[in-house]
Amino acid sequence: MAALPRRIIKETQRLMQEPVPGISAVPSETNARYFHVIVTGPEDSPFEGGLFKLELFLPEDYPMSAPKVRFITKIYHPNIDRLGRICLDILKDKWSPALQIRTVLLSIQALLSAPNPDDPLANDVAELWKVNEGEAIRNAKEWTRRYAMDN
Amino acid sequence: MEQFESLLTCCVCLDRFRNPKLLPCQHSFCMEPCMDGLVDYVRRQVKCPECRAEHRIPYQGVQGFPTNVTLQRFLELHAQIAGELPDPTAGQVMERCNVCSEKSYCAPCAHCDKKVCEDCKSAHMEVLRREISRINNQIRRGVNRLQDILGIVERNTTNLQTNCGAVAGEIDEIHKRLSKALKDRTDFLRNEVDRYLATELRNLTHLKDNLELELSNIQSNCDLADKYMTDDVEWEDTELVDTKEIFLKTVEFLRNFDYEAGDYNRRMRFIMTHDPNQLVLHVASYGELNISHPSAYGGNMQQTPGLTRSKSDHRLATQFRQQEESKGYTENEEPILGGRKFGERRPPPPEKHTRDYGADDYSGYESEHRPSRRFRSRFVRSHQQDNDSDTEPTSRTVKAEQVQKEKEKVQDTEDATRGPLSGIFRLSDCPRVMQRILDVDSGKKKEKKEPPPPPKPVQPAPQPRRPPPPAQRQQSEDDEITRLKRQNKGAASSQEPDRTPSRPAEEERTSVNRKPPTPAREASSDGESDESVGSLQRTQRKNTAPAPKPVTAARRPSGSEVPTSHRPAARAPSTESSASTESSGSAVKHTGAILTIEELKAKYSNVGTPPKPGVRFFFTGNDRTAPATTNGTVSGAQRVQSRFVGSQRPAPAPAPAEPAHEDSDTSSEEETDSSEESEEEPATQRKPESQAMTRTDIGPLLARSTNARNDANDNKTKETPSQSRYRTRQSSQAEEESTPRYGSSSSSYNNRYGKPKEELETQSSLDDDSKYPTARSRYLALKERRNRLARSKSSHTGFGVGDDDDQDDPVSPTTASPSAYLAARYGSGTGGTELSRSRSSHALKSRESSPERAAPGEKDGAALSSWARYLKNKYGSRGKDRDTSGSTSSTSRRLSLGLPLRSANELASSDDDSKNAAGSPISPTAATAAVAGFAAAGSSPRSQYLQKRRLQFSVGSRGSEPGCFTWPRGIAVGPDNTMVVADSSNHRVQVFDSNGIFVKEFGQYGSGEGEFDCLAGVAVNRIGQYIIADRYNHRIQVFDPAGRFLRAFGSQGTGDGKFNYPWGITTDALGFIYVCDKENHRVQVFQSDGTFVGKFGSFGSKLGQLEHPHYIAVSSTNRVLVSDSNNHRIQVFDVNGRVLSSFGEEGSEDGQFKFPRGVAVDDQGYIVVADSGNNRIQIFHPDGTFLRAFGSWGSGDGEFKGLEGIAVMSGGNIIVCDRENHRVQVF
Repeated sequence: MAALPRRIIKETQRLMQEPVPGISAVPSETNARYFHVIVTGPEDSPFEGGLFKLELFLPEDYPMSAPKVRFITKIYHPNIDRLGRICLDILKDKWSPALQIRTVLLSIQALLSAPNPDDPLANDVAELWKVNEGEAIRNAKEWTRRYAMDN
Repeated sequence: MEQFESLLTCCVCLDRFRNPKLLPCQHSFCMEPCMDGLVDYVRRQVKCPECRAEHRIPYQGVQGFPTNVTLQRFLELHAQIAGELPDPTAGQVMERCNVCSEKSYCAPCAHCDKKVCEDCKSAHMEVLRREISRINNQIRRGVNRLQDILGIVERNTTNLQTNCGAVAGEIDEIHKRLSKALKDRTDFLRNEVDRYLATELRNLTHLKDNLELELSNIQSNCDLADKYMTDDVEWEDTELVDTKEIFLKTVEFLRNFDYEAGDYNRRMRFIMTHDPNQLVLHVASYGELNISHPSAYGGNMQQTPGLTRSKSDHRLATQFRQQEESKGYTENEEPILGGRKFGERRPPPPEKHTRDYGADDYSGYESEHRPSRRFRSRFVRSHQQDNDSDTEPTSRTVKAEQVQKEKEKVQDTEDATRGPLSGIFRLSDCPRVMQRILDVDSGKKKEKKEPPPPPKPVQPAPQPRRPPPPAQRQQSEDDEITRLKRQNKGAASSQEPDRTPSRPAEEERTSVNRKPPTPAREASSDGESDESVGSLQRTQRKNTAPAPKPVTAARRPSGSEVPTSHRPAARAPSTESSASTESSGSAVKHTGAILTIEELKAKYSNVGTPPKPGVRFFFTGNDRTAPATTNGTVSGAQRVQSRFVGSQRPAPAPAPAEPAHEDSDTSSEEETDSSEESEEEPATQRKPESQAMTRTDIGPLLARSTNARNDANDNKTKETPSQSRYRTRQSSQAEEESTPRYGSSSSSYNNRYGKPKEELETQSSLDDDSKYPTARSRYLALKERRNRLARSKSSHTGFGVGDDDDQDDPVSPTTASPSAYLAARYGSGTGGTELSRSRSSHALKSRESSPERAAPGEKDGAALSSWARYLKNKYGSRGKDRDTSGSTSSTSRRLSLGLPLRSANELASSDDDSKNAAGSPISPTAATAAVAGFAAAGSSPRSQYLQKRRLQFSVGSRGSEPGCFTWPRGIAVGPDNTMVVADSSNHRVQVFDSNGIFVKEFGQYGSGEGEFDCLAGVAVNRIGQYIIADRYNHRIQVFDPAGRFLRAFGSQGTGDGKFNYPWGITTDALGFIYVCDKENHRVQVFQSDGTFVGKFGSFGSKLGQLEHPHYIAVSSTNRVLVSDSNNHRIQVFDVNGRVLSSFGEEGSEDGQFKFPRGVAVDDQGYIVVADSGNNRIQIFHPDGTFLRAFGSWGSGDGEFKGLEGIAVMSGGNIIVCDRENHRVQVF
């Protein structure tokens, strides 16, 4: 295995030294390209108070291609499906090498505060979100309390 | 400033911009690899990472984008302000790595000979490093071979000398014998002839007279008859009748008288019993030198590649490399490393890549670099300085390069220590390596680009044969080296142990080597006219043995005066040069002997490969015969010399009649003694130094016996000579005294044996003569004896010759030659033990006789050497003497190798020596004690272990005071057999001496530096550092020998270099640290500085898997033993983590375990296991088969409650931590 690119090292160091508030990303001990991520639910969102575990993997050609990110904790969100996959443009075609792990995670945090039911991944959630936002938010809060708080 | 920084940072690589390219959207990125990676090759466009604007790529590619010059200026400015170093890769172009094919800044890699990226290169270097350590292990294991060979070579050297000395003596004897026989016979024959001539002549004269008378009578008768038998005269009838009768008678007489011509016509004829031609032929080739069993020598000398090369080690090395290396091994033509200097690049490939090597001198190197030659020429040059003319043909090449050489003096150092056989030089002498070590140790700790040179043990072995450091070597170079070395030593204490042993010896050698030339020159100028210097040197070679001996003699612990008294004695022969030319010659031979070593060395290295022993043997043999047959007196002197040197001690037969004679004859003897003493008086005064030495040497030992005798002696001044005389007699058990007396003065001989002895003597010699009427038969008889007494021959032979030489008067046939007498004695002489005894006693005697009688110088020298030899036998096995003596003579080394070595083999000289020691009258006890001591030390560990059961002592009880323990766990043996105990729940390390006396403690509870939290394993590495497995802190801490914190490494985790409850810990010979990472079920290996090296084992119960490994040990053969506790077995790995074997399973039978914990291995490979669950200690053979077990549950002596660490002391004592009893027990 080729050694870790300088960029990843730098990013990791920076993540450790200047952690983003509300976000923690710790590289795995066995694989420096694999990060255990915990994102706190943003304030004033149905996910407030929850701690959401994610996993983040930097592919071989990172930063030329986007990192792979997935929610491990179950979450009720129109852009996040049951498997935890995230529908976020910067993780797909809008990826840019200028983006970093921290920006990606910030984007995800932002996504939590601003769900986008128009570009859904979990169709049923998106539907409810569009039809009955209050109900959806309640659901989201419920899920957050159930899955993201008890640990 | 931070923003400024971020402006200079490329957002893609998050690094400082490198060659920033400006996109039309005004965003800049590094050209490589950032911009390169952004290119969409299909659409030939690039998307700006910042603004996502898409731009067409110019025709030339991303290079076509304009460079952001402003940014670049800023970068430069920033670099200037911040004082940053310029980017090392600036101006480079990225290439595809030839290994991982990533685009990167590539540099040529010496390992694979390709251009590779940094990562691959470091990986390769890692591989190399590991290979080196692996090969190094092999070397370590294999170096014994070289040492063995060295030992054998040394032994062979002495054997050779002994052998040749013996043969030379033999030849001399035969020559003497033959010439004497010839002379005797010739004299006899000539006497016969003369006698015969005289008798015959007398007879003939008589006859002649008679005939003449007869003739005249008859004549007158005839005349008378003619004249007067006429009628003129009146004759009476009776008268006429008578006359007639007379005439008739005359006629009858004339008729009958017949001269018996046969009688006097006998011709004497000289008839040879043998065809003279044949005889001459026989004599001319009267002996041959038969060089036998070449295998004994040759087999050991042949050059082999050293170690068998394991495939795996070189698997990764290129073919090219291998070839080069193997060539370097086998022939000196092809220098090692292909003629490069250490660390130098190989000749660069066509495209130049010199940028990577910061070394300033590097470019200089390259331009001057000549691939071949360098090694050779240097090598040769050192010879030339040895004045070895044999190197003439090659020396031409030297001059050509000498000019260039001078420039490189300092860099050349590696060549100075180059081994002549393998071409391997000492890495630590290489300037580059020195620099590295210096860097490392001075704490610069810059990233190592090169592996730290593992201490190569190869060097010591070839050393002795390496060309001696030329005396004329440039001083500056020497200074430079020593300076660098001193620096290194000062800084790198870790390197020191490896080098120091060889170094002082070498230096001493140098100093010794420098001395000899003076005496040698003295000799040639001395006008030893008949001898060419060459032959002189050749004889010197024989003398290699005695020369260094005086040095050892000086080490004798008999007070301060010894060294001073010794010196003049050693010089005595030369100072006495007025006495005889011989003596000065011999003096030269002694002092100059080292020259011969040099010469030998030169010879060795000349040949390139070690010379075939057969050839050499032959060579010296020839040399020896030449002077023996040609020269007169001088060669005689040489012969004497060589004989003494040959370490064959002349062994006069113990005369059984002697004691009786002595007892009965005391009074007369004393008379003669005193008379002799007066004779000797001047002699004694002439040589006070040597006399003094004599006394200091043995005086005290014999004082008692002397005193007893001396009571009779009133005269105090005469005491000295008589003392030594008595000493002789006393020490040699009243042995035959005739020999030295014969040698020196016949008058004393007469004196001594004037009365009854002489008769006895003459009788025996007559006997001897009659028994062997001809010299020839005597010789045959002698030969027969020779076969029986293989050894004594040359010795007594030597005596005979020596005596003859000294004796001026011709040997009378009646008294016979003393040698014949001796021979007769010998013939009746008995067993070998007696002989050896007498031999050794003679050694004493001969040296004593010399000061007594002012004997010729060579005797003195020889005597001295014999004494020195004796001393060495006695003290040779003591290491201290050996070190301090500094004499590099092969003898001393052989001796210091210890007696057992020699007693094991049947080699002649060795058994001579050992006998000598054993039979020495003065200190038989000392000698036997030495032997016994060795035997004790060498007794098999197996039996030692079999006897183990009884507790020797135990240390500690529960508590926290010094010397008390709370759950002691790990234990280790430190330097000087100290016991190092991990006092786990007192969070400290305690150190005890080998008797269990508390020495020191260090550490306390905590997680800071030097603090512990329930430490478990302890280890002590070779330089005395303590390495502690700090269990609950999940780290390893290293302390210096004084217990001061040095460093710590590791933290909790499962990654490389992380631990989960590290437990047992150990180090190997190279200082690698092995840690049982218990909860991670693996073993991790680190360099001594804490760098992770490797790991092995995973959770499981299969072979190679571990479950809660607790303790670990590494054997001297680099086998790693792990107590695989929960699998109830011991697993054996190699240093690379491959399983070799495993033994034990759960149970309580012999060889079974229940949760084994501590494991230890002694230097013989015996394995000791603390079988914790069974509360016993089990001992296994190196192959893992059960040897014995002892111990049971309990708290009494030899009982255990929960065993932990275990260790074996160098003396074989087993120490074990008895955890629940809070103590350490020693078995």
